[in-house]
Amino acid sequence: MSGQINVGFIGNPNCGKTTLFNAYTGAKLKVANWPGVTVEKKEGMFSAHGVDFKLVDLPGIYSLTSYTMEEKLSRGYILSDDVDVIVDVVDASNLERNLYLTLQLIELGKPVVVALNMMDIVEERGMEIDLHRLPEMLGVPTIPVSARKKRGLDVLMHAVVHHRDKTLDALEHHHHRTSVKMGGRHRHNHHNEHTMVYSDDIEDLIDEITKRLRVHYGNIPNPRWHSLKILEQDEEILAQFPLAAAGVPNLEKEIINQKYDFIEEIVEEVLVGRSAKVEMTEKIDRVLTHPFWGAPVFLGIMAVVFFLTFTIGDKLADGFGVLLELFSGQVERLLVAIGASEAVVSLAADGVIAGVGGILTFLPNIFILFLALAILEDSGYMSRIAYVMDGIMGKIGLSGRAFIPMLLGFGCTVPAVMASRALENPKDRLRTIIITPFMSCSARLPVYVLFSKMFFAENAMFVAYSMYVIGLLVAIIVALLISKLGKKREKHSLLIELPEYKAPNAHSIVIYVWEKVKDYLTKAGTTIFVASVILWVLQNFNLSGMTNNMSESFAAYIGKAVAPLLGPVGLGYWQIAVAIISGLAAKEVVVSSCSVLFEIGNINSNEGMAELAGILAAMGFGAINAYALMVFCLLYTPCVAAVATIKKETNSWKWAMFSAVFQVIVAWICAFAVYQIGSLIF
Amino acid sequence: MTVLDCGIGSYKVVSVATPYELERRLEALGLTEGTRLDILGKKRNGASVIKVRGTRFAIGAEIAAGITIEEERG
Repeated sequence: MSGQINVGFIGNPNCGKTTLFNAYTGAKLKVANWPGVTVEKKEGMFSAHGVDFKLVDLPGIYSLTSYTMEEKLSRGYILSDDVDVIVDVVDASNLERNLYLTLQLIELGKPVVVALNMMDIVEERGMEIDLHRLPEMLGVPTIPVSARKKRGLDVLMHAVVHHRDKTLDALEHHHHRTSVKMGGRHRHNHHNEHTMVYSDDIEDLIDEITKRLRVHYGNIPNPRWHSLKILEQDEEILAQFPLAAAGVPNLEKEIINQKYDFIEEIVEEVLVGRSAKVEMTEKIDRVLTHPFWGAPVFLGIMAVVFFLTFTIGDKLADGFGVLLELFSGQVERLLVAIGASEAVVSLAADGVIAGVGGILTFLPNIFILFLALAILEDSGYMSRIAYVMDGIMGKIGLSGRAFIPMLLGFGCTVPAVMASRALENPKDRLRTIIITPFMSCSARLPVYVLFSKMFFAENAMFVAYSMYVIGLLVAIIVALLISKLGKKREKHSLLIELPEYKAPNAHSIVIYVWEKVKDYLTKAGTTIFVASVILWVLQNFNLSGMTNNMSESFAAYIGKAVAPLLGPVGLGYWQIAVAIISGLAAKEVVVSSCSVLFEIGNINSNEGMAELAGILAAMGFGAINAYALMVFCLLYTPCVAAVATIKKETNSWKWAMFSAVFQVIVAWICAFAVYQIGSLIF
Repeated sequence: MTVLDCGIGSYKVVSVATPYELERRLEALGLTEGTRLDILGKKRNGASVIKVRGTRFAIGAEIAAGITIEEERG
């Protein structure tokens, strides 16, 4: 036996499983996909009690049938040899729902340890759980923990170590009411062996099928579980053991009901002081999911989010900018002092620091935006938004659930496209993937911040807001067009749990935001760095070598070739054309390119903006051009990473390419409308 | 009557008739005959917030129309 224990974390959605998982592994986890399917797999390692643990976070599920991908996957994985101990994370404040999965897990016959999570919430509500009686009735160790407050973590793993080799202990303590009654005709008393004992007629059938399994298939592990699955007519198990299934009635509903009946008994016995006060969640929901006020409240919340993003973000960005200038000056002096050639000084100061550094000054805005999204997700509000938006989304042929990927698109298109996995219908998924890139992601924010401040002075924030609205409107219109083009309108129904509201957990939010900030910094260090260097080369060289005349450089040649196409939309300048093309690497590059192309030191400072605005004005590039540029940047292909993600999620280059080209066309049409109409009016 | 026709209040599930897989999923959530079902919220398009066995769910109009319920007695 190896020294490592493989632990599978499993539980209902919203039971705090991921918070508990993070409490053990911190941000040190490996995220990948389960082989062959688009379901995320998280793994983390850690040591305690002198043992190495490998933790695997399984998808959040309600049951172990084989109807959904997540359930099939979790079941198969638990039954495999890759799992030594199952940690079943149970939301103690919602025992009735969570114990259903627990009973199913116990029936699998592997060692199960129940982590009774959210005990702090149970206490807050003035409830108590009989921690002596509950494990007696379940027949497995039950450890109270609080993932949010990091309590009970050690005890839980201690229990895992101790129960790794034990299958179920004999149960002596519980007899359900249903079968204790006199005159039960079933031959033996199963209460000593199993947690969940069914009515006599079902137990008779289990014995019968178990016998058949032994006759036809030898000694398979856990025949009781297989017999139950055959009684539930589980397709996977039926296909495996056809000979044992002949003539067996479908008792799935009966089995479900008896499990829930047993759970009711457990809850009655172990839960003391069931919340007498009106639950907070229902009070809050009366406002947040109000049939009329729900939508305005949501829009208000989003307005506040963006307000904070712009105002607080800008305040922080100013400080950042000062540091950047100091740094840039120092580097330039240092390079000159050590006698570096003019080309090297220029590459460092005008290429790398202007490009990468300029982008780093937007980090505070992006930090605030992701912080807000993390809080919305962690508090439990996100699933309410699906309900609130169900009406509007229904009109464009999608369920409210499709709005969640769109909302996440305000953060970053890549995870947003991945979030469309939550939609079961493949056509809905595809449509959601097509419209999500129109949602204005955080990488486009620097473009709005820069150009709206330069050209719209006191209305800057308003102009930047308008981009978010335009993006949303274009997404809705495109979805509507696709749904009208589709032959028949299918029914898309919403089904989503509305979890209890809870105060967001600092640890989870720190991990979430840190991941995004790290991504942003990595992008600045890689994609934007490389793009800035390439751009600097293209702009300082031509066929005859290095040149000081930028309008004779490679960049100018390329830009001048493309510029005529952008003329009708008010962007027919070679520098802008180059910035837009390089923006395909990442949208922030549009801004970093501008700093490199126009040789601006710190583009996100008042002096930098004044300088750039002066240059642009001299070129005849005014407010209408700037607005057209913002609209174009909002709508055209987000970035190579987004295209690659769309390819991965649709598993089709055709769709990925279609969406990329389609976005450029939409961007051109909208910018054209803005520029032409704007030029007529002003 | 179905969840679609009813306002906020407490009811009992009589039957569930939705497409096969969805029906199985609802059953696994404990939405079986005889279960108590509370309607907590309702939108004009028929989407509803229901509470079944201790959990709140938001359901769309199509699912709401598939769940037949009756007034809870006594």
